[in-house]
Amino acid sequence: MTSSSSSPTERSPSTSSPAARGHELRPHTADAAICAWAPTLTTLLEEAAAGLAELSADVEPEAVPPNGPRRERVEVRALDLDALVVAWLNELIALVDIHGALTGTRVEEAARDAPGGEWRLRAEATLVPFDGRLVRRRDDVKSATYHRLAVRQGPSGAWALDCIVDV
Amino acid sequence: MAKGTRRARDARAATGPRPARGPRPAAPVTLERLDAYRWRIPADARRGMRVDGLVFADDRLMASLRDDPALEQVANVATLPGIVGASLAMPDIHHGYGFPVGGVAATLVDGGVVSPGGIGFDINCGVRLLRSDVDEPEVRARLDALADALFDAVPSGVGARTGRRLSGPDMERVLRDGARWASDTGRAWDSDLRLTEDGGRLAGADPSAVSPRARQRGADQLGTLGSGNHFLEVQVVERVVDPVAAEAFGLAPGRVTVMIHCGSRGLGHQVCTDHLATMDRVVARHGIELPDRQLACAPLGTPEADAYLGAMAAAANFAWANRQLIADATREAFARVLGRPATRLGLHQVYDLSHNIAKLETHVVDGREVRVCVHRKGATRAFPAGRPELPDAYRTVGQPVLVPGDMGRASWVAVGAPGSLERSFGSACHGAGRLLSRHAALRQLKGVDVAGQLRREGILVRAERRDLLAEEASIAYKDVEAVMDTAVGAGLVRAVARLRPLAVIKG
Repeated sequence: MTSSSSSPTERSPSTSSPAARGHELRPHTADAAICAWAPTLTTLLEEAAAGLAELSADVEPEAVPPNGPRRERVEVRALDLDALVVAWLNELIALVDIHGALTGTRVEEAARDAPGGEWRLRAEATLVPFDGRLVRRRDDVKSATYHRLAVRQGPSGAWALDCIVDV
Repeated sequence: MAKGTRRARDARAATGPRPARGPRPAAPVTLERLDAYRWRIPADARRGMRVDGLVFADDRLMASLRDDPALEQVANVATLPGIVGASLAMPDIHHGYGFPVGGVAATLVDGGVVSPGGIGFDINCGVRLLRSDVDEPEVRARLDALADALFDAVPSGVGARTGRRLSGPDMERVLRDGARWASDTGRAWDSDLRLTEDGGRLAGADPSAVSPRARQRGADQLGTLGSGNHFLEVQVVERVVDPVAAEAFGLAPGRVTVMIHCGSRGLGHQVCTDHLATMDRVVARHGIELPDRQLACAPLGTPEADAYLGAMAAAANFAWANRQLIADATREAFARVLGRPATRLGLHQVYDLSHNIAKLETHVVDGREVRVCVHRKGATRAFPAGRPELPDAYRTVGQPVLVPGDMGRASWVAVGAPGSLERSFGSACHGAGRLLSRHAALRQLKGVDVAGQLRREGILVRAERRDLLAEEASIAYKDVEAVMDTAVGAGLVRAVARLRPLAVIKG
């Protein structure tokens, strides 16, 4: 593990606005890095999911199935915050492979059981089936990795993460 | 997530620069030249290294490797408990995650570990080669129709599906029996299994260690190529440099061949993900310190290691069944287009090998025979003549080593040489190795019609995503000739025949 923390580090974000949130995809040899930033941990995880969604599919705005998107519950437990991020993204990668493009996530809870204890996450993901027309697959994402994973909280309280996914 | 993405972009525009810094660069590692084809990373170059790193590269290859984080990964792998010999990098090494792609590590069965990252997410990604009695002009005359037929017959692309779901009992048999399942259902020739590594069925498969989710991901993906660097290629034997081995492999100049490169699809990815997560939880309990969490591992003989090896073997069997179904579909497509049965076309299998797998093998270390777990991630087994694992047909020749190049230049068939047992635990390169990132290749070829360019060179391409062909263009890869020069120069393999592409089916 090269960098890991749930507390502020030297490489913490220094955004002027702690309310900022977003994500960006960066190239990495045969893979891609998802970079995300957000004011809270739950919104950070939603932004990372949005990065994964962008990487794995192209979805036209009018692509809404008649009976609405599929809703999937996601519950994850992990030893630490890095593992929580990897497990969260891996859950979503599997759901995309099985059900379709990710159109949204709502992270209800991402917290520790107790100080020093395991982390848990509860969320809902919405997906629409691939049809090759309005909902198209993009990259075949194999897995999120720990390779140079960094999750950090800055002095302003804002969060950021970098996660390389194997494509 | 079109809406969410737009929101995110709007938020960034409104609030200034992005705070995240991106992954940090790697520190350079110490390298000592040993000879024209070998470089040593001394065991004291990094804290925790138990053995040296050994990189197979000539000057040309090393020039592109010097600043590559892959070298740091070679050093990291050298910290694994029980690793013996050296942490090895094949000539086509490039940056991976945890292990480099092109990495080989042998760990003692007695006292060593198994690390799923040393096999990779695409368990038993590998290459199958079919040869034929058909000459190039006959195929050239029907090449458009043949490319269309193959593209229709073999689902390709991201998330490719067959439209058929394996039943529960069939999935169980695929995981247990691999290519034998395809044979039992009439989709293999007798010689296919004999000429597949491990007979297309790796011993020790434990389907119960494959999660329901992994099965769900794989259920409708059997018989599909997938995307990325996976391909099906119609080729012609351009040149034979070892006539004896070429004759044994059934290869003759001017004859058409078919190369298939793919793996275990979503099922294998999920198996790796599941077991990495399990091992990540027990690393500390076993008192193992790692420089990179992606190297998560468990001591051989523990329940975690046994479960992974059982699931890995099952996923490997899925991959062998996958390539078997693709070979069957290929034979049907050839027969349909060329108007005579595949048996009369002589579409026999040369070999099928894995380049992402762990095997329990016997090797000589420090003058004594030991049982080791050889991790090959982006590396091909390259056994020379005489090894008992080889099929009878190749026992006196050596194992075919299939080295795909890129879709614009060439691929090679080689044969395992004695030096591989002395220097690389019987391993060699698995391809040309990536040179440019996918992004860099797309950027450099922006506006270039890659398929059109290849067509002008006489190579037809059929692809699900033509806009992404640039990611796999020749400039994205090292020159396979340089990789082969090093593999041959280092004594790992002997070159047998050069194959030139005629038509490429891509995801």
